[in-house]
Order: sequence, then structure tokens, then C-alpha cells
Amino acid sequence: MSANPYVHRPTPGPQAAAAWTRRQIVMTNVRTVGGRAYPRVRGLAREKSWLFFEILLPFLTTSAFVFVYRALQAPPEYVGFVVLGGAMTAFWLNVIWMMASQLWWEKSQGNLELYFAAPMDIVAVLFGMAFGGMVMSSTRAVVVLVIATVLYGVTFSVAQWLLLVAVFMLTLAALYGLGMVLASLFLMWGREAYHLTQFLTEPIYFVSGLNFPIARLGLLGALAISVLPLAVGLDAMRQLAFADAAYPGGTPPPEIEALILVVMTVVFLGIARWMLRTLERLARREGRLSIRWQ
Amino acid sequence: MSIDPAALDSPAWGGFDPARTRGQGLRDVWRSFVTAAQLGWRNEANWTDPILFFIYSVAKPLSSTLIFVVMIEVIGGAAAREFRGFVIVGTALWAFVVAGIAGLAWSILDDRERYAMLKYVVVSPSDFLTVLLGRGVARLAVGAMGAVITLAVGVVALGLPLEVGRIDWPLLSVVMVGGLSAVVAVGILLAAICIQTRQEAWSYPEAAAGALFLVTGAVFPLSVLPAPVQVVGWATPLTWWIEGVRLAVFPAAPSGIGGAGSAFAAFTGRLRPEPYEIVVALLATGALVALGAIVGFRVSVHRAKERGLLDQTTGS
Repeated sequence: MSANPYVHRPTPGPQAAAAWTRRQIVMTNVRTVGGRAYPRVRGLAREKSWLFFEILLPFLTTSAFVFVYRALQAPPEYVGFVVLGGAMTAFWLNVIWMMASQLWWEKSQGNLELYFAAPMDIVAVLFGMAFGGMVMSSTRAVVVLVIATVLYGVTFSVAQWLLLVAVFMLTLAALYGLGMVLASLFLMWGREAYHLTQFLTEPIYFVSGLNFPIARLGLLGALAISVLPLAVGLDAMRQLAFADAAYPGGTPPPEIEALILVVMTVVFLGIARWMLRTLERLARREGRLSIRWQ
Repeated sequence: MSIDPAALDSPAWGGFDPARTRGQGLRDVWRSFVTAAQLGWRNEANWTDPILFFIYSVAKPLSSTLIFVVMIEVIGGAAAREFRGFVIVGTALWAFVVAGIAGLAWSILDDRERYAMLKYVVVSPSDFLTVLLGRGVARLAVGAMGAVITLAVGVVALGLPLEVGRIDWPLLSVVMVGGLSAVVAVGILLAAICIQTRQEAWSYPEAAAGALFLVTGAVFPLSVLPAPVQVVGWATPLTWWIEGVRLAVFPAAPSGIGGAGSAFAAFTGRLRPEPYEIVVALLATGALVALGAIVGFRVSVHRAKERGLLDQTTGS
């Protein structure tokens, strides 16, 4: 009889089998990232209705704001501000619905216990979700950006392409870092999580200046820039993508905002890692890894 | 309400009493409706304390309004000031639309996907449509709360020129009844669609609301849209509802349907519709939507029963 195919590394006993090398741990976590990102990347084209609604929704909302500016006979760059903001909503919606709420959904469906029982780091699961979500949302954001730009005649004027790309990447990193923090918080909550997700859409759009320059919000805008990656990233991108427009002053230059995003990324990832460890322990102790009625 | 177990026994003569299957007519319908409304309200509201629930409920419509108000302030000018009232009324009423449409459709999805109770609700003696309307009423109440607070903030904090003495109450009453009925009808239509759908039906109500948002003149006059799209807007009862409320509450506010360069002005030679035109158009389009919604819902439920869709969870 051949060796058991399910034993990867024959060991003298269970204790020895549980003692993993650093390489094994790293490789398992890398595979975890890939495995968790896979359904989101592959799922892009699997369910056609998702594609339709995920593009249609932000596009319709963006169009409404464009027509408001047209009705007000606003300068053309304001239409561009709205289009850029509309494209970024795809990422924010992905962060709150598919990062922050994800562990709560998994708990509702009974998968969360399996996540914690599997020999992998939960942070790797979140990295996988973030990577897959970025790919998923990027395609949608690009489609919204391209269609709206063509349809509404937006003209970009970019002087520093490299900085613009860097700011965009940093915004995503900070956004998904914040998503990880929220995911760990949602781990402890029940129905509050769902309602908080609802709460985090329009109010965040408002304080992030999604459809207008955030400098107009004064102190509230300054606070948002120091806390919300969407606010600071969007402001920096607008300054860079519409370099020749009369952009209202009052916010830091894009270089400083890029640094703010770096700090946010580091802080959010650190907090997320600490919170996941702490809340996982609490959730295990208080029996919150599954929902009572299941 | 307690039930006497003895009343469930067979009649004294031991046979089957067909009267029991017919129920008690309107009394049963009312009881189903009230029970469903209570269930819907508890489902909506009992996850937290009332103050937090209130904050969550009004934050969304209020933020939407503030987004538009700041956009108007950014551009400035006399026209922008006039436009502020227009937008505040539109976004306040839109809280009803989103709540009404999403409330009914999400009741179906909640019961099917999350609680796996839809099949039991359908086979219960209560009329399914009545139960659904009861569930939807709770969300509509939340939407009403958001709308009232948004209007109050508009008047108190944003200087919206509301003069209670100048409000056209008869017009307001008629268009509110007609408009809310139309919102519920659209919600039933969406619920009928959600019974048939598979993955990601959660976004359908928002997609429908988003599409209607563009053609109803809620936050910008239809005149900025191409003429054929303006005509599509005329076919929607929500357009006439919003126009009617604006005319009743703020008679001096710009028209969402008419205005210089609008298709309405080109067609009628007038800059805004008369109150009677608004009422007639609202009732006519509303009746059509209501009829379509009821027929569509009955057909959808029948098809779902035949194909076993009521207990088919999709994991979405």
C-alpha cells in the first residue's frame, strides 16, 4: 500500500507535525493570500449581473452629481472632480462591504470558525481579501472613469504622473488598512455591523469631499484629511489630475498628503494586526465566532 | 393576541368547516398587516438604543442633503441660493423613495437569504402581499423620519424660506398620498423582481433608485437632460410627486419639470405645470405603476412557487 497522500511531511507524532518551519508558515500564508484573493479576481466575470450593477450604481450616482453641477453652470473642472470621486467610490464601497463586513458575513454563514481553526494567519486572509478587492474595484473604477470622462467631456491635466500613481497606490493601501481595522471591529459585533456599514456611506462621502473640494468644509475637512484615507487621497489626486484648474486652497500640497497616506497605512496596518489578535482572543473567549441562531 | 387551543379543534359534528379557511376577511388582513409592521419595526430598530438608532436613521439622508448644499455653496451666486430649497426638498423626499423601494425588496431578500423564512411566510394563512407591505411600512417610517429631519435642518439651519401660511395643504395632502402609494408600488415591483433573482439582488433596489434619481428631477431640473430623457421622466409618478410637493410647500422654488429650455416648456408653452396637471399626471402614472406592480407581484410569486425559488438561498 502506498504512503498516505494526505501526509505532506511524515513526522514521528502530532506534536512534531505541529512544529512548522518558518518557510512552511510563510508559504502557507502566501497561499492563503492567493486563495482568498482568487474568488474575488475570478468572480469578476463569473456573475455578469455583478459587473452590471457594480458599474451601473456608481455611474448613475456620479451622473446625478454631474447634472447638478451642469444645472449650476459650474466650471468644467468640477465635473472632473465629481467623476474622479465617483470612480473612488468603487474602492470605498468595496472596503466597507467586502472588507469591513466580510468577517461578519462569514460569521453569519458559519465560516468564521473554520477560518480560525485553519493553520493560517487571519491577517493573511485579510490581505487576500484586500488584494482581490483592489483588483475587483480597480476594473470597476476604471470603467466608470473612462465612460464618465468620455460622456461628460472631462479633460485631465497631469503634470506629475509618477506622484499621481504613487498617491493612488498609497490611497488604496491606507483604505484597505482601514478596512482591516474595521473588519476586526466587526468581528465582535452582531447586527450593529450591518447598520454601521450603511452608516459609513453617505456621511463618509460628505466629510471626504467626494463631490466638491474638501477645503470648503473648513475644520471638518481638515479633520477628515487627518483621519480618512479617502479624503486625503482624493484631494491629492484632484490637485495632481487637474493641475491647471483653479483649485481652492486650504489643503496641504500633494507631496505632504502622500506622506500623510504613508503614515495612515503604517498606523492602520499596525492597529489592524493588534486588534485582530486581541479581538480574536475575546471572540473565542466569549463565544462570538458563530451566531447563536445558527 | 392569545389563541384558544380549543378553537382549533374539529367542529362538534366532526367534519371540516370550510369557513375556517376563508378567515375573517378584512379583520385578518389588518391583523397580518399590523403584525408584519411590528416585526419589521423590531427588525429595523431593536438592534440598538433609540438614540443611536435615530442618529443612524437620519445621518444618511442628512449627509446626502449636505453634499448637495455644499456643492451649491461652492459654486455660489443668486441662482445657487434659489436652487438650495429645490435640492433640500428633493433629497428629503428621496429618503422616502430609497426606504420604500429598498424596504420591500430587502424584506424578501432578508427572509429568503438571511433568515430562510420566506417559504414559511408564503405558506402561512396571511396574504403574502399584506405581510410584505407591513414589513415595508417600518422602513418607510424610518425614511419619513429622515425626510422630516432633513427638512427641519433645511429650515432651521440652512435658512430654507418655509412659510406655513403659504403651504397649499390640499395639494400637499393629495400628492403625498399619491406619491407614497407610487413609492410602495415601485417597491412591490422590485420585490417581485427580487423573488426571481439570483446573486447580488441586494443592489437592485439601489440601482433602481439611482436610475429614477436621474429622471425624476429630484436634485436638478429635468431641463438639463436631453428632451427624450425628460419625457421618460414624465412617465414616472415620482417626478410629479416631487414637483407637487415643491409647488405646495415652496411655490416660488424653480420647477423640476418645466423651466426655460425644457421639453415641457417647448410642448406646452408654459414654464411650469399647473397643480391640477400635476395631480392628474401623478394619479394616472401612479395607477399604471400600481397595476403593473400588483400583477407583476402575483405572477412572480406564482412562478416562484412553481419553480421552487422561495427556499432557494443563493448565499449572496
